[in-house]
Amino acid sequence: MKELEIPTSPQEILSLAVRIITSRTFLEIVIFPGFLNVMLSAAFLTWLERKVIARVQLRIGPLYAGMWGILQPIADGVKLMFKEMIFPELADAKLLMLCALGLMLVAFAPAVAIPFGEGLVIANMDIGLIYVFAVISLFPSVILLIGWGSNSKYSLLGGLRSLFQQVAYEIPMWLSVLGIVMLTGTLNLTKIVEAQQKLWFVVPQVLGFAVFFTAVLAELERTPFDLPEAEPELVMGWMTELSGVAFMVGFLAMYTKLYLMSALITTLFLGGWSGPAFLPQPVWFLAKTFLIASLVVIIRGSFPRVRVDILLRSAWTRLLLVAFANVFVTAGLIWLGLGTIWSV
Amino acid sequence: MTDLVFLALSGLVVVSAILALEAKELIYGAIWLAFSLIGVAGLFILLGAEYVAMFQIAVYVGAVVVLILFTIMLVQRERGRIVEEEEPGRLGRAGALIAGLVALVVAGAMIFLAPVSPETPEFYQVSLRELGRSLASSYSGALVILGLLIGATIVGALTLAKVEREGKSNGTA
Repeated sequence: MKELEIPTSPQEILSLAVRIITSRTFLEIVIFPGFLNVMLSAAFLTWLERKVIARVQLRIGPLYAGMWGILQPIADGVKLMFKEMIFPELADAKLLMLCALGLMLVAFAPAVAIPFGEGLVIANMDIGLIYVFAVISLFPSVILLIGWGSNSKYSLLGGLRSLFQQVAYEIPMWLSVLGIVMLTGTLNLTKIVEAQQKLWFVVPQVLGFAVFFTAVLAELERTPFDLPEAEPELVMGWMTELSGVAFMVGFLAMYTKLYLMSALITTLFLGGWSGPAFLPQPVWFLAKTFLIASLVVIIRGSFPRVRVDILLRSAWTRLLLVAFANVFVTAGLIWLGLGTIWSV
Repeated sequence: MTDLVFLALSGLVVVSAILALEAKELIYGAIWLAFSLIGVAGLFILLGAEYVAMFQIAVYVGAVVVLILFTIMLVQRERGRIVEEEEPGRLGRAGALIAGLVALVVAGAMIFLAPVSPETPEFYQVSLRELGRSLASSYSGALVILGLLIGATIVGALTLAKVEREGKSNGTA
């Protein structure tokens, strides 16, 4: 760690400030792979979801705000910001606000380790993959706290369902990427992308991809696994008692999670930023990410919801089994000497 | 700079640990415990053991949720009810005094015998690859036994849970 020189005169303070603001790390954190990109992409995803789901249901979707209604997320955000925040009388308002902020923090955290282009990553960690999974595992606690703090049966039931579902699907999720780690011998996400220059991992790891995608759907509480916010039973699940800015933050956090999980799928299975050179690398990355996100939305438009017992049983028996099968298939590939295609 | 971060993290760990013990409501205690464990993960990162830090977050901080869950399921919640504290008796006071003295002596001895330093000597920094290799080769026997131990624990927990459920269903029927 470098020792900071303490500036004394105003000129030195100014030049230090300029140096910090124009430094690559600062710009990366604030603008491109960092804060602004994640914020805008999550807002864009809310629009994309409404547009795609409208197409599936033969509707038009948002139309009036901007071209094709693309400014709709901003209008929604402004509306929610000016709404009154109403909490139930016996709810724990302080805890709810704290948890909404914590949810946002946890949702943003994976963006630090995901490479959006060659060298375009905020922190190129050797254990990037474990970091992302470790951060994702913090979601259930915050969501359960929101459900408990709301002091409402709908919220509490939604939070509990979310907890069971996320904890159960975390295990197949961790196991399904083991094949990739076996083939590349690294947990560094940049190196995992570089290993896919010849062939994307979706081909040799097709079982792992299927398991990972299913687990991601469950982690995101998306149809067919959207039991935590099943509208006919639980109103809006753990988000029921959130309103105004608190609701906006929680809502945006779930879309941020959708965005970054799609980005993680792109990184692990779809070759990350790689693509023909006529477009810059981040464009390829974002295109693949939004494609995965649209796939998630189309699934929401086409499938019914599963039952709780089927959800849990399929995670612990079927998915775990397929993930283990994937590990053995990968071991077979390495034994046949095919592993050298993806070695770093 | 490193010293400053070290002091801040240590402060976070100690203060939130105390708050976790002092919290009136169990759930707030669990939240403070999570903050304390996050601070410990930060200390691990400062010592160059990022791998341990990540598992500290994934396993320990993630497991706080289980604590919260137990609290929700086992403790009846009545907001606004003031928890009555029992005054500790003479024996309790004496015990607390003795425990505090012992802790003070141990902490003092540790500080004087081995001065705390946030810097790590080079040879302590083991890469993840080396760690995995030694676990899979020279310590593979120990690893298998540990796995069996955890498996036995799960089977035991399942048995306990099942017995309890049977008892319950008999009671209602």
